[in-house]
Amino acid sequence: MPAGNDQLISHEWQPVPGAAGAAIYPLIRKIDTISSNSYIIQTPEMIVLIDPGGLTDQAEHVMRVIGECRSERDRPVFVILTHAHIDHFIGAQHLPVFAFPEIVVFAVQESGADALERGDGNLTQANLLGINQVPMKTGFRLLSRERSEFAGIPVSLAFSNGAEVTVIQDRICADLEGGLVCERVTFGEGPGLELYHTPGHSPDSICIRIGELLFAGDILFAANPGIAGLCGWSQEALIHSLLVINEIISGGGIRMVCPGHGRIILAADAVRMLSLVRNDALALSNIAELNNERARETAEFAEDCMDEVNEIFTIMAGRLYYLSYVMDELGEPEIAEKMSAQFNGDAIDELLEAFKGFADEHHKRENESIHLALKAGQVIAKLDRAFKKDELASLIDPTMVQRAGRLLSDYTTMLRGFCPPSELCECNINGQVRSLITGLTVPLCSDDDMLDSADDDAAFVQMLLARVGARPLLEEIDLTLETGDLPVSAAVDRDLFLDLLTYILEELVGTGSRRIIISLEREEYEAHLSISGDSAEPSVPEKKKTWNFLTRLCERAGGTLAYAKENGMSRFVITVSLV
Amino acid sequence: MDISSASHEKGTVLSIAGRVDTATAPALEQAINREIDLGHRKILLNFSGVNYISSGGLRVLLAAAKKLKGSDDRFGLCSLNPEVLKILKLAGFTSIFSIYPSEGEALAGW
Repeated sequence: MPAGNDQLISHEWQPVPGAAGAAIYPLIRKIDTISSNSYIIQTPEMIVLIDPGGLTDQAEHVMRVIGECRSERDRPVFVILTHAHIDHFIGAQHLPVFAFPEIVVFAVQESGADALERGDGNLTQANLLGINQVPMKTGFRLLSRERSEFAGIPVSLAFSNGAEVTVIQDRICADLEGGLVCERVTFGEGPGLELYHTPGHSPDSICIRIGELLFAGDILFAANPGIAGLCGWSQEALIHSLLVINEIISGGGIRMVCPGHGRIILAADAVRMLSLVRNDALALSNIAELNNERARETAEFAEDCMDEVNEIFTIMAGRLYYLSYVMDELGEPEIAEKMSAQFNGDAIDELLEAFKGFADEHHKRENESIHLALKAGQVIAKLDRAFKKDELASLIDPTMVQRAGRLLSDYTTMLRGFCPPSELCECNINGQVRSLITGLTVPLCSDDDMLDSADDDAAFVQMLLARVGARPLLEEIDLTLETGDLPVSAAVDRDLFLDLLTYILEELVGTGSRRIIISLEREEYEAHLSISGDSAEPSVPEKKKTWNFLTRLCERAGGTLAYAKENGMSRFVITVSLV
Repeated sequence: MDISSASHEKGTVLSIAGRVDTATAPALEQAINREIDLGHRKILLNFSGVNYISSGGLRVLLAAAKKLKGSDDRFGLCSLNPEVLKILKLAGFTSIFSIYPSEGEALAGW
């Protein structure tokens, strides 16, 4: 489909809508962290490449296309970066043609140009992605402060590639505080470009307009987990840039937005997306910088967390299949089928297996942590979308569904740059333990409830489902509770403390404990909650990821966790501070 | 995943080694169905070599249990590693089919 309709075709020349004489060759990639889209634009006077991308193959391809254009008619070539992140340009680093300033001139917003010239691997994200980036010379410093002294006055510039360019810098959108710095760049008689300084994703981010197309760089992704908080990211600047770009698009005359990654977006959709990104960005106050240390911590958390995610999702699927099986046995095939439909086990399995495959490959190649952290973020976002929490909670143990939901949201929180939530407050842990144990021992609906519903078919089926789907974990366990009757007040996060206790009990029951003893010992400043099971199998600290997950959860709950194997019993001890 | 089959006086033992996941679960299902088609109605899965089971694997186990629920049929699993045992127990599957510590103990009771 040629331009003029609602899309641009990748790998084909087509006219630029609204810019007579200009043609565009887009190279649109599926979204990833390795490389951006590339766009080549030619007019009778010049050839512009917007973002060569992060892959040498891609840069070679665009240079081949540019070479063909130049063989038809030699023209100066400009490479404009929407921002100097390496996924937008590093593919060009090793191609000799890019090193000839008499052919190609790099044009970058001036703070990006500075970063490239001093080889600043933090600002370009080369350090985070473990890529060696050598300093690069930029021939054309866009939207420079120097030219702001000549606001509204045409400035003529001559470049090493033979181009003579006229630039007019101005400040537009005056009704928005601070306005927007804009440059109109013309190359002779043909259509020119408008450049807008839109920092936030990075200090040097720009948007570029030609005709009815707006090249938006990464502004639409700038509030995403794993993107927000990158070195150079600024919440305040981003929120402002989102407003001004919204104003530019809403002002009319733009038909399509060409993002740095992924498919072309219609202007109306882009306006809606900008509003959503702005809402996300507004919630990102005080996030931590996404540097190597945080990427490593996040990736470690991801792996520990994904093992638990894998386990809990498999158990939930199993519970539903079990429920479906029992209903089928009871002559309720329609209900059985409905149960199975509540959980797309194959899709979830595929997601979890894709992560495992990625993680195995990641460790084999010793890749940088950020890739694993971002992959986990993608998988968890997809799991979250596939996870019908409310429906599941009405069929199987709702506390398990809630825990699964918390696992997913904790990881997203961490990837976003926040600490996963932990709210320590005074809590009677003895009372909490007792009520948890009661909940894990007694069926959700009692025998009386079942009898009461016997006259109503629908109510009976509902009771039956609840009874079968939420079988109490400790139903068949010989449990001894030695916690006394007195309240024990400690500083804990109640939900996390109860999650931890449930995980430990599941570990013991799941690995074959038939007898469990829970005791509470009080000292002057601390209390020790001991949970022992006669399971012969587990030595939990040997299962490194499970142990890491539990100790991390315990810390967030406000305590410390110890484990010992004594007299054939597996014993966990949670120590908390008394208040 | 590798599957080997051995016929015993009291039943057929399928020994499984590897991961039972989306990619391999169909092979396990085929192997079980093949035994059932041959008229073998007492099937024990030796899971000593299985270190992972996904929800796709759980579904195959349930499907087998459904097919082998006659009064003279037997279906069970033995020699589970702790992670796999935990999944089956917490999913509630231990009330559908029997889980035995070893092959010998399973067949002795059949």
